[in-house]
Amino acid sequence: MGESSDDIDQMFSTLLGEMDLLTQSLGVDTLPPPDPKPPRAEFNYSVGFKDLNESLNALEDQDLDALMADLVADISEAEQRTIQAQKESSQNQHHSASTEASNFSGAASLGYGANVTATSVSQYVDDLPPPPADPVLDLPLPPPPPPPEPLSQVSLVVKVHMDDNSTKSLMVDERQLARDVLDNLFEKTHCDCNVDWCLYEIYPELQIERFFEDHENVVEVLSDWTRDTENKVLFLEKEEKYAVFKNPQNFYLNNKGKKEGKETNEKMNAKNKESLLEESFCGTSVIVPELEGALYLKEDGKKSWKRRYFLLRASGIYYVPKGKTKTSRDLACFIQFENVNIYYGIQCKMKYKAPTDYCFVLKHPQIQKESQYIKYLCCDDARTLNQWVMGIRIAKYGKTLYDNYQRAMARAGLASRWTSLGTVNAVTPAQPCTGLKTGATQPNGQIPQAVHAASAVLEEAQRQAETAKEKRPAPGNHREPAAPRAHPAPRASLPPPPPVRRSSDTGGSPAPPDDFLPPPPPPPLGDAELPPPPPPELADSPPDFVPPPPPPPVLAGDPGSALPPPPPPPPSLRPECAGPSPTVAKRPPMPPKRHDNPGLPAGGGSGEQDFMSDLMKALQKKRGNMS
Amino acid sequence: MAGMKTASGDYIDSSWELRVFVGEEDPEAESVTLRVTGESHIGGVLLKIVEEINRKQDWSDHAIWWEQKRQWLLQTHWTLDKYGILADARLFFGPQHRPVILRLPNRRALRLHASFSKPLFQAVAAICRLLSIRHPEELSLLRAPEKKKKKKEKEPEEEVYDLTQVVLAGGVAPVLFRGMPAHFSDSAQTEACYHMLSRPQPPPDPLLLQHLPRPSSLVDKTQLHSRWLDSSRCLMQQGVKAGDMLWLRFKYYSFFDLDPKTDPVRLTQLYEQARWDLLLEEIDCTEEEMMVFAALQYHVNKLSQSGEVGEPAGTDPGLDDLDAALSNLEVKLEGSAPTDMLDSLTAIPELKDHLRIFRPRKLTLKGYRQYWVLFKETTLSYYKSQDEAPGDPIQQLNLKGCEVVPDVNVSGQKFCIKLLVPSPEGMSELYLRCQDEQQYARWMAGCRLASKGRTMADSSYASEVQAILAFLSLQRTGGGGSGNHPQGPDASAEGLNPYGLVAPRFQRKFKAKQLTPRILEAHQNVAQLSLTEAQLRFIQAWQSLPDFGISYFMVRFKGSRKDEILGIANNRLIRIDLAVGDVVKTWRFSNMRQWNVNWDIRQVAIEFDEHINVAFSCVSASCRIVHEYIGGYIFLSTRERARGEELDEDLFLQLTGGHEAF
Repeated sequence: MGESSDDIDQMFSTLLGEMDLLTQSLGVDTLPPPDPKPPRAEFNYSVGFKDLNESLNALEDQDLDALMADLVADISEAEQRTIQAQKESSQNQHHSASTEASNFSGAASLGYGANVTATSVSQYVDDLPPPPADPVLDLPLPPPPPPPEPLSQVSLVVKVHMDDNSTKSLMVDERQLARDVLDNLFEKTHCDCNVDWCLYEIYPELQIERFFEDHENVVEVLSDWTRDTENKVLFLEKEEKYAVFKNPQNFYLNNKGKKEGKETNEKMNAKNKESLLEESFCGTSVIVPELEGALYLKEDGKKSWKRRYFLLRASGIYYVPKGKTKTSRDLACFIQFENVNIYYGIQCKMKYKAPTDYCFVLKHPQIQKESQYIKYLCCDDARTLNQWVMGIRIAKYGKTLYDNYQRAMARAGLASRWTSLGTVNAVTPAQPCTGLKTGATQPNGQIPQAVHAASAVLEEAQRQAETAKEKRPAPGNHREPAAPRAHPAPRASLPPPPPVRRSSDTGGSPAPPDDFLPPPPPPPLGDAELPPPPPPELADSPPDFVPPPPPPPVLAGDPGSALPPPPPPPPSLRPECAGPSPTVAKRPPMPPKRHDNPGLPAGGGSGEQDFMSDLMKALQKKRGNMS
Repeated sequence: MAGMKTASGDYIDSSWELRVFVGEEDPEAESVTLRVTGESHIGGVLLKIVEEINRKQDWSDHAIWWEQKRQWLLQTHWTLDKYGILADARLFFGPQHRPVILRLPNRRALRLHASFSKPLFQAVAAICRLLSIRHPEELSLLRAPEKKKKKKEKEPEEEVYDLTQVVLAGGVAPVLFRGMPAHFSDSAQTEACYHMLSRPQPPPDPLLLQHLPRPSSLVDKTQLHSRWLDSSRCLMQQGVKAGDMLWLRFKYYSFFDLDPKTDPVRLTQLYEQARWDLLLEEIDCTEEEMMVFAALQYHVNKLSQSGEVGEPAGTDPGLDDLDAALSNLEVKLEGSAPTDMLDSLTAIPELKDHLRIFRPRKLTLKGYRQYWVLFKETTLSYYKSQDEAPGDPIQQLNLKGCEVVPDVNVSGQKFCIKLLVPSPEGMSELYLRCQDEQQYARWMAGCRLASKGRTMADSSYASEVQAILAFLSLQRTGGGGSGNHPQGPDASAEGLNPYGLVAPRFQRKFKAKQLTPRILEAHQNVAQLSLTEAQLRFIQAWQSLPDFGISYFMVRFKGSRKDEILGIANNRLIRIDLAVGDVVKTWRFSNMRQWNVNWDIRQVAIEFDEHINVAFSCVSASCRIVHEYIGGYIFLSTRERARGEELDEDLFLQLTGGHEAF
């Protein structure tokens, strides 16, 4: 199976899990997590704020409305997904998955800083993949009601650019490290989670860019950006990120005798690499690679470059003054790393007349404009550049870098193990993925996750899953296992986009669906892309909507029977599914929120509205305070 | 038994007379004569000797040393024949443990009993156990360098700590008692000894520092390593006499499992060795690095002097702690008078005053101008006058993340703070000029905290102010030798000469008043460390130096006509050009297949992966020292945490031993 199929599987299972979570109504207070991928292209807010409070103030009513609408949209979209999930057996669901995927590109990014503004919002953030723990694991358990303290937290919505030119917006709270955000993105994107994935900041104006180190606090870094910044955060794979840990010999062993050494170095076996790493990173102090050589230094404020002999030491970069030797006592300090970050320089040849394009840049993180305090250095070739950048990072971050790598490895290992487990244990062999995203691979997706939960490795997950099971029955006394799905289904069927806006205006959930179905531009997107499935779904959905509670059960049953592949997820699966859901939706917290809705006979809509109006109130209040 | 004779007095068995001297090797020692046969066991001989001497004494530590063969007769069940002893053997019946004077890594002298009969490896292990230093395999003994006559005169009497009376129960891990291993708590004297071992020493007298020998070249650095004693042989065999001075040093720069909690002595001695390495320029560092080292030394010294010794956790609260607490209190009381005003200030985290400000700009000739400056939280605002304070400030700067550089000249009464404040546009420079030390210390402390994102409400504010004042006073007395200003107990601690903290070449390069502010600047970053943290930081910075842990030997490579330098580090061998000092080639131990020593031609031959063969003969030191160094590092790399403290001595000797070992 290709990666793509895995992804789809994952998405699918997530959907299922989500559905399950929905059915277990628990905590009412949690907010509907703003959907990571706001499907409405109409709302395009990209705002960078230096000061969060200020930014809040700056939000105009319109913005707030938009935000609200967005939130609502998220909810409805989620609902839609749930519905679709219900009919997993039917291939229609594929649409949803693909729809989601396609939606990413059009995603609107909404940036705002909310101080205490919306309690729920911050809670939501909390619920998001708990930083260290694997979110997926935690999922089964409806996250414990968010602690009250989150109120004081600051969250940012960050627009992250994907490598396919799409963007995703995600909420980042002030405590989250780059690692947490990456984990979060892993779930959203179903990528392979390998260690090369990184958050990457680029400064178009300065033409510099760098990795976020996994231990860096994202909000802190972003808070140095100016308000009108063009800087962007990217999510992409960079093999340079942890190159030193994959091939330490390239950094530690190739000094001197370089020429003949090069080939032998590359052959180094895994065991030697390991011992080299241990030697370099696990001692009382980290060993900084020996690095020295002539580099070009851009002269302050000029476009001229001077060649000097530089040496890297743990304490900083030094150069050999004219007429001196390179012994320690003669060296002059060029820069120390305490107050500067290291960046790659992009196209410096063009911009600054650099001798080559292999430049690295050192600057204080707060500097955002061109300044004489930014130091530009230029290497002869890419290899040298990478050695210097890595060397400087090792000198600056020390063992933290290695710790980061090990965490990243653990994360990647977990991900790959799951997928492999999943394939092996596939519960429903009936629907082997057709391979393409459009294909009916979804069932498989479920499986893997179910497996994870079951796998002994993840005891915690198991435990949580069990708890989840126990809890489930409790909330939904009135319904049987099948019933829970039914509730969400009606809402889910709502075309996600339309409801969004209206939700704030309109009260009843049933009403919107009808209206929207015809006009909604967004739904067409999803459906249109998947030619085969959409029609059936659409047709089905309208009837469902009208009578929210009763029809759902029917639906669930129908699709299953009608479609050749029986609905794979038996009750037992659900708990497990719950686990996966996060991967797709990234909102573990979601389930609890929804529960309220199902509980209300009137329909999800009313529930949403309440919630939204609460949020609205909160926002308005906040606004009032601020102004 | 031996010695049957006829009535006429003729011996009728094959017995013969054996003369044994009593005492250590000394031609005039008293001697006893025994009648023995070739079948006599050593044990029996020992018994006879004791009977013969007929003196009440504990002879249990005594054994027989065979001078010609340079060998101890320790196998009591062996017969004289088996040892091959004949009547002409010169035997000495003497103690196996004899006093030696150890020069510790902290340069203090300590008299103790060391085993003269066990292989040095074991003897060092026993010494380390006594001193409570873990991982004795990392240490070894060197012969003291031969003293030059000039030096003799100048070293009148030096305090020698004495541990000869201390007996350590064998095999039992030392128990902590009153914060120190129990065997140290016997008397005030041994207690003082423990403090000497576990607490850092004050900085050396700069004058002394200047006169101590320093290596001026790589060749000089090879000298030290020619003096290592052989680990597989005993002290006696290596010609060490009772009362000799030996150096105890960390020999292998591979410090396993350094744990500040359980290793106070080890950590301190390591710190001391590192410090002396730097002060005596055994290892080179850059100016910036030296300032950090100096700041750490200053900090460590200050903490250890002030009694804030970070006693390892888990000590039982005993008198020591009470003493420490009392002295702490004392310090606090003494220091509190001038800080009253500060205390009231810290209640409100805010500073406001008239200060002169200077903003350097291109094409500006304006100098300092007076403003009303308000410093609140981490933000500095200034106004034309106090009256305008409620309005908009002329400029407002958030000092978070800024660089704070002192620009002070005490004798010139110049107290400036240079601020380099980052902003999106770059850095803005700003100078604050204070009127006096007090004002300067308060603002400086505020700026420093603010640069780290903390406010003056932070608990460290008061201590920061104190530290700055202390440093200023240091600068006042700096250069004039220590002890000129006996102003209370603090003076000895604070009136340090910065020259005692840096290597002599920096003494030549900088005046004391230039040095002080730079040390002060570096000190800001370490001021919050505890004693052990600071020591550990020092050691880490030392380890981060590129030349760290390289032992130099002069060798001649096979096929080469000139002498070269071989550097041995914990993971590699380095071939270095003797004249230029450049690294020619590096071989890593991990690629090493095997190494051999040809003892006849004193050549070490090493084979690396891919059939790389290297051979060299040793010039500056005996080739067995080189051999042992290499083997020792290989041995150390086999250590595993799981195995705990147990040492595989056989393996060590196998890896490091010479041909005798086999």
